[in-house]
Parts: sequence; structure tokens; C-alpha cells
Amino acid sequence: MTTGNLAKVGAVIGVGQSDYVSDHARVRAGEKPHDSYGYAAIAFRAALADAGLTRNDIDGLIVGPTVAYERVGEVLGINPRWGSQADAMLAVIEACAAIKAGLAETVALIYGNDQRSAAVQYGGPEAMGGNLFLSYVYHAPWGYTSQGALYAMMFRRFMEVTGITEAELGEVAVAQRLAASLTPHALMRKPITLQDYLDSRYICEPLHLFDYCLINDGGVALIVTSAERAKRIAKKPPVLIHGVGRFDLNRGATSLEPRLLDFYRPAQEACASQVFNMSGLGPEDMDAVQIYDSFSCHVPFALEGYGYCRSGEAGRFMREDGISLKGKLPVNTAGGHLSETYMQGWNHQVEAVRQVRGECGARQVEDCRFVHYNSDVAGKAVSIIYGR
Amino acid sequence: MANSRAFIQFYDEPMWESIRAQRWALQQCDDCSQYRYPPGPCCPHCVGMSASWKPLSGKGKIISWVVFHRQYFDNYKPPYNVVAVQLAEGPLVISNLVGPEPEGGWIGREVTICYEPDAEQGSIPKVKLSAPPAA
Repeated sequence: MTTGNLAKVGAVIGVGQSDYVSDHARVRAGEKPHDSYGYAAIAFRAALADAGLTRNDIDGLIVGPTVAYERVGEVLGINPRWGSQADAMLAVIEACAAIKAGLAETVALIYGNDQRSAAVQYGGPEAMGGNLFLSYVYHAPWGYTSQGALYAMMFRRFMEVTGITEAELGEVAVAQRLAASLTPHALMRKPITLQDYLDSRYICEPLHLFDYCLINDGGVALIVTSAERAKRIAKKPPVLIHGVGRFDLNRGATSLEPRLLDFYRPAQEACASQVFNMSGLGPEDMDAVQIYDSFSCHVPFALEGYGYCRSGEAGRFMREDGISLKGKLPVNTAGGHLSETYMQGWNHQVEAVRQVRGECGARQVEDCRFVHYNSDVAGKAVSIIYGR
Repeated sequence: MANSRAFIQFYDEPMWESIRAQRWALQQCDDCSQYRYPPGPCCPHCVGMSASWKPLSGKGKIISWVVFHRQYFDNYKPPYNVVAVQLAEGPLVISNLVGPEPEGGWIGREVTICYEPDAEQGSIPKVKLSAPPAA
């Protein structure tokens, strides 16, 4: 497959985030500390400080939904020579592409979301996202709503096909909570046991409460520049983007065919092929993996789809080899969407960068050289490999 | 909260008319004979623009299932099931299994389309377990 080459074109030199813990406490107490743009601004200032840059060093801007491109640029006073609007994973890829093409040299990637304080609904009569993903709203006449229910249906069939059990799936929530317990900025830091998981209530059976992501307010920003410039100006060791990949399954998306019949596997395999070929690396080279985990079952799907274990073996792999910081393959090392913060993939990029930098304290993966990020949101498989 | 409602766009209207008449029909491509769901302007298999509305046989089998334990709509009180059914014509559809539940596994069980009254849509297709074949 021809992949072009974005290997080592871009490097992350700055990351920033809002204060998830403090803001969440205030929101739960009925306050509204900021709106989405406020969180975005806080994160951007933190990322600039982390990079040792000023606003005027930025010549490219990518803004992540739910905030609007123009308004973010207006609020932060950024007139870039190149700009775009993209989710976390595509923002990183687009930044590398823009740098490679000479359209921009130092790109700010900025996201903010006040989903908790704004009471965004992910299911029911006012479910969000139907304008983008018809499956989020199309099956409502049968009471079938919420993205969790889509993944519950997918996981039920996965259980049937592979024999994976609820207890094996519980390894995800337990492992990520352990990681969060070692992460000062994580929201859910009290460790849980497998029994706690099994005793937790079902939301959409077979998924339990602990299989669902958090919903909280916050903002994240990254500064990506050319690898060459990063070497000259970075305050901290630059984290190179060694490879990227993407493959989308759109056919049959609303009737859930690629989800229920294939578990999105063809997209993950095509994406794995791209990202590993581009980087010259393989699953065996990865020291940690960050997986977009709106729901825990993303993890076993990804372990099989990206070649970390054989097809049908994710349950055994998680139980025996382990995906916690104590296991063979640490996954979502700050707790992920389930226990750290639900920043729609943005927090995973930040954690990948910090692990490669070696600045993760108690949760640091020893001698962490390469971290693989991947996601399969609604059959859109995306991968990024970060490394030294 | 509110009742669940169908998300009806331009190409869905003939389908919901057929459901109200208790003869659920989908578009079949005139060029390659594939059925499509949801309804749409062209065939995802061959991009043909010409299609005919054909009543479904009413036969299918369960691909997967879930049970809701949280309430999202006034007209769906938990616990309630939702099933994904592969129709004999090919497409996957979402519905609810009514009547007796399967003993043992649900996946792979043959089902038949039936209709129930619905406050919002007039009528709504559900599925029930097919009678086992005579021994």
C-alpha cells in the first residue's frame, strides 16, 4: 500500500489542559466555571507555556468540535496562514500534513467542551450527533438510543463469536482505574476490583456503569511543529509523530453492519497496516497504547484489530497478560475516558506525549519509547504513533 | 423526557407509509437487486438510481441483542430488549422482540415481523420468534 510519508515530519512540543478535578467539583456543585471557549483558552495558554512559545509563534490553527473555528481564533487573537476544524486524531494528522506541505510550521490544536455543565444529552429524545451520525438517532422508534447501546449490541455479538466474558471485559475498567489512581489530574481515583465491576448496575446490558465514559467539562491543546524546528526551539524533549493511519467504514453504518458483522476489524487492519508501515514499527515495539474508550469494549476490539493479540483472544490477553500498568501492555495509562477525563480523544494524545517524555511520575511506563494511539469511533479507524 | 420518534427524512416517508399499512417495504435496486436500509437516493452497492419499493417477506434472524436498564424515553420503560435482525432480504434492522423470549441463546434465532400500534408513528414493526419447523 502506498502511504505517502508523514513519518517524523511533525513533533509535539507543547501540551496543555484545563483543571479537570477542580472544574468538575464546581460543576457538580452547580457552578459553571467556564464555557467551552474558556476551557479552550486555558488549555491553549498551558500548551504555549509548556512549549516555551508565545501566541505570535503560531501560524496554523486547528480547532476541535464542539468549539467553532472562527470564534476560537477570535477569542485567542490568532490569524493563522492556514487553518482547519478536526477532531483530536485527525487534527494531529492534518497538522503533520500541513507542515509537510509547507502550509504552516507551528500549529496550535485546540479543543474545549462544556458538555457536563451544558447538560449535553447522549441518548433520548434530544440525543446529540444525529446530524453527523444517523445511527445515533435513526433507531429511536424502538427505544434504541445512546452510543453506549450501539457498543453494547456490538459487544454482545463479540461475546457470542469469541467467548469473551463480562468478567474479562471488566479488566478494562479495573486496569484504567488503577492508572487513574496514580494520576493526580484524573477524576476517578478510587481503585475498584473486578467484583465491584461485576456488582455495578447495567446501563445497557451487557455493559455496566463502569464500562461507560465520564462526562465532564474541560479543554486540551497541543502545539505541533516541524521536527526540524522542534529540535531547535523545544523546551522539553520533542515527541515525534512516527506514523499515522486512517480507514473509514461508511457502508452500512446506520444499519450497523460494519459494527455488528465485522466489529470494524477491516478498518482497524487497514489503519494498522498504514501506521506500522509508515513508522517502520510494529505492535511489538509499543511500550504503551492509548485507545479511544468512550466505552470499555473499544479496548478488546482494538487489541485484536491492531494485532496486539490474535483474533478471538482479547479476553484471555487482558486476563492473563494484562493491560494495566502492571501488565504486559499498559493501556490508557492515565485512566482514559473511563476514569481520567472525557476529552473525546484529546486527553489520550496528551498522555501519549507525556509518557514518551517520561514525565508521568507514579504512572510512568519504564523506558517508554513508543506509544500507539488508536480509535474506532463509529467505524472511523485512526492511528498515530508517538515516539522519541 | 418525551416519547421516542422516528427520524424521518425525504426517502423515509414511503417506508413509514408502508409500515402504517402493516406491509413494511424497502427499496430494491432495479439494477443489482440489492435491498437497502435505511432508504436513500441510490444503491450503495452499484450506485444505481432506479429502485422499486418491495414488501418484505417478514423473515429474519437475530444478530445481536441488548437489554436497557436505564430509561431514555417515556414510552420505553426499562427493562426492555432491543434486537438487531438480519432480514432474509439482506439488510440489518433494529427492532424489539415481543412475545416469548428464547430459552438459551438469542443470537441466530429465526424471527418474524409483526406490527404493534405506536402513538407517534401509528404502527411500528416488531419481531417475534418464528414457530419452529414441524419435526
